[in-house]
Amino acid sequence: MLNQETVYKVIDYAMRNGADFAELYVERWRRRAMRLIDAEVREATSGIELGAGLRLFYGLNVVYAYTNDLSEAALLELAQTLTRLKASQGQVDAKGGGGLDFRKEIYTGLHAPQTDFESKDKRFRLERLLEVDAGARIAPEIKQVESRLLEWEQDVLVANSQGVWAEDKRVRSRAVGLAIASDSQGTQTGSDSPGLSVGLELFELYPPQEIGRKAAEQALTNLRAKKVPAGTMPVVIGNAFGGVIFHEALGHLLETTSVAKKASVLTDKLGEEVASPTVTYIDDGTTRHGWGSSEYDDEGMRTERTVLIEKGILKSYMVDKLGSLQTGYAATGSGRRQDYTFAPTSRMRNTFIAPGDTPKEKLFEGIEYGLYAKSMGGGQVKPGSGEYNFGVTEGYMIRNGKIEESVRGAMLVGKGPDSIKKIVAVSSDLATAPGMCGSLSGSIPTEVGQPHLLISEIVVGGEA
Amino acid sequence: MTYKEARQYLLSEAKKRGLEAEILASESRELTLESFEGKLIQMTQATQGGIGVRVVVGGKTGYASTEERSPKALDWVLKEAKENAELQTKTGGFIPAGQAMGNQDLIGEGLSASLEEKAAKAIELEKHLRQDERTKQVPMTRYSENETELSLSSTRGAEGGYRNGYTYLMSSLIMAQGENIKQHFDFQLEKEFHALEPGRTALRMLEDTSRLLGAKPLKTGRYTAYIEPKAFAQLMGIFFFMISGKTVMEGKSRLADKLGQKIASELVTIIDDPLLKDGKANRPFDSEGVPAQTLRVIENGVLKSFLHNSETARALNQANTGHASRSYSSTLGVAPSNFYLQPGQGITLREGIIITELMGVHAGANPISGDISVQAFGLKVEGGEVVCAVDNFALSSNLLDMLMNVRALGDSLEWSPFAGMTGSPMVEVSDVSFGGV
Repeated sequence: MLNQETVYKVIDYAMRNGADFAELYVERWRRRAMRLIDAEVREATSGIELGAGLRLFYGLNVVYAYTNDLSEAALLELAQTLTRLKASQGQVDAKGGGGLDFRKEIYTGLHAPQTDFESKDKRFRLERLLEVDAGARIAPEIKQVESRLLEWEQDVLVANSQGVWAEDKRVRSRAVGLAIASDSQGTQTGSDSPGLSVGLELFELYPPQEIGRKAAEQALTNLRAKKVPAGTMPVVIGNAFGGVIFHEALGHLLETTSVAKKASVLTDKLGEEVASPTVTYIDDGTTRHGWGSSEYDDEGMRTERTVLIEKGILKSYMVDKLGSLQTGYAATGSGRRQDYTFAPTSRMRNTFIAPGDTPKEKLFEGIEYGLYAKSMGGGQVKPGSGEYNFGVTEGYMIRNGKIEESVRGAMLVGKGPDSIKKIVAVSSDLATAPGMCGSLSGSIPTEVGQPHLLISEIVVGGEA
Repeated sequence: MTYKEARQYLLSEAKKRGLEAEILASESRELTLESFEGKLIQMTQATQGGIGVRVVVGGKTGYASTEERSPKALDWVLKEAKENAELQTKTGGFIPAGQAMGNQDLIGEGLSASLEEKAAKAIELEKHLRQDERTKQVPMTRYSENETELSLSSTRGAEGGYRNGYTYLMSSLIMAQGENIKQHFDFQLEKEFHALEPGRTALRMLEDTSRLLGAKPLKTGRYTAYIEPKAFAQLMGIFFFMISGKTVMEGKSRLADKLGQKIASELVTIIDDPLLKDGKANRPFDSEGVPAQTLRVIENGVLKSFLHNSETARALNQANTGHASRSYSSTLGVAPSNFYLQPGQGITLREGIIITELMGVHAGANPISGDISVQAFGLKVEGGEVVCAVDNFALSSNLLDMLMNVRALGDSLEWSPFAGMTGSPMVEVSDVSFGGV
């Protein structure tokens, strides 16, 4: 996207003018989206995003600038703006420049698509979304079906003053089915939204009719559901997107973004028991075709598999470059950002609870009265206090070990460190699901995952 | 190519290709300064922009956008937009007739100040927050400003633009009392740099955070909820979805057939006013160039109007209210400006829970059914007095039931920057479910 000479000049300029570290990030996105309601195209969009971000470190101080203009003149002006901005805050000593030698690394196609976006026309996409719609028409109560396809193609170059030159290409696809069911009693919704780092073979991995059918079944279940009774009770959490609970309750507390400022309740706890011994928690940026995978992170470091918690013991944080400088922990390839308009911070990639050895049925045994949270919506956390919540999109009551009637409107509420210790059993049926995670460096694709597991007690919001 | 040249290029190319087109471009400038432990540790400066088209061909509508302004990228945009349009089966799409609207400046010199003065605001806010001995950490304090220049032109004669901007102070605060820890996030948003008051913002944040320290669990039950303005403003965002003409047009609103009917307590009057005196989300015209006007959405409990753009108004055969919303990269939607619940006569606290904050609203509210089940924080009221803070509980109801059960409204309005700017007084709602221990 940029020639080496231009990149060299920009980084060299910054270093000559006193920066301790300089990093140039350049990217070009091509995105498409198509949205149908009841088998009619409502909106189809296509877009190009192009920009560069320049980040300089002066000790632990950071200056960042970005622009859409990738001409050499504009990028040099960016470097001048930043060094001037810094100089306005006090004396900066000039340094010698030169001698920078890039070690070029380029993506190997670990997550490359089989069916790339240009190989199929828009009609092909439309036909698949029509199949999502058709798959959802399973009952007269299904009153509306929305189907969507998102496709992202991102070319990235990261180069820095330590000789890093990494080029990555990331291709992602996600399909969404949303069904609305109504009867004289009310209106409820259901959805299914698989996504991976793949091209249009997504529809082979997740047949479109199935996406529609799953969404419709969930909408019908919710239509027949009663309001969930409120109170504190044991909860079995379903696999796949159920992992969002630990994304909120645990994952965000392990990012150096909050750990470095001692703003996480899990700061300075390496080697300590922070979860029950049944819990092993892993963040893996290398999962083949994972929704949150990439070959390099947004700081040009190769991604890796990071074991965060092993059998309840805290083993590692998720560490970006700045976090590494601040804490002394080695970087883990976790520097991520939404796009060039954000400086990177430490973020999750594909994060999941490793399989345990309790058979799934055993989790329900012995529960006199509780909730089976089969499917989850999103959630939110305050890392400083560990308080978090997440919504249940499909739930059932458990009585005397048996899964009984469906319930809707459950919201689970807890305090991170407390509820992690209350995970008493983990089954072996690990599955993962895609999500979008919002934080300081914007909204990024992350995968969550877990097997079915049992929390001995947690607050369930509902009807009192 | 400059944005102006790119706009002209797209207009003339669209005409050559027989397309009706509306072109929206925006350019923005951002400055963010972050203070930590009394020092400026992070600065971001940026310029960014893009250009997007909405084209109509044979009554079918398509969109495309780009941040790259080369002829190659602009040609790709027109080709993609036309292909996207041709996928539609429905015809009847149109670009509304426009007019010359001129160029306006809504911010003037409001953000003028030196970098030192701007940094000092953030540093001062953090310093005030650290003065309380219960403050455990102030992980982030920021000064930020944004200035955007927007322009619109169409093959049907729309031509104009405006420059707007805002500045804000934002901080995240963690306070502790024994084992009990509370974190709170807040900001002060203004149109004028000199209106920022770090001292007052800090006092409010310290009060809002510390009053929750030592919170006790709440017993599951039904209580009267006294919902503070900021918390209710979050629910107004869900309500907005239900009265958006786009939601109604797409058959997703439970209020679709309720125009002229009573849907809320007669105490409730909700207004959207893009021309509000000193409003922070004012605009001279909407994203299709329709001049701004004040709109009464609910008057004394009766639903008076939805919010419309040209497309939703025509589809529902109702008047266009001038609420079109589109960024260069998005499709045509509907958005409020200064959207508020009119204050009432005041509230007398008796028995119940003051809700100070809601959390997880994006996950726990279903805007289609109106069902909400969200985490809440608050203060317990007995015999008219606050007796303790409460936490680790959830509030569950249906938004439309809550609007019917409004018993009283506070007498002053507070604004929060959600979905434009949303204003609300304190709202008393009877008989709400709370799940706790």
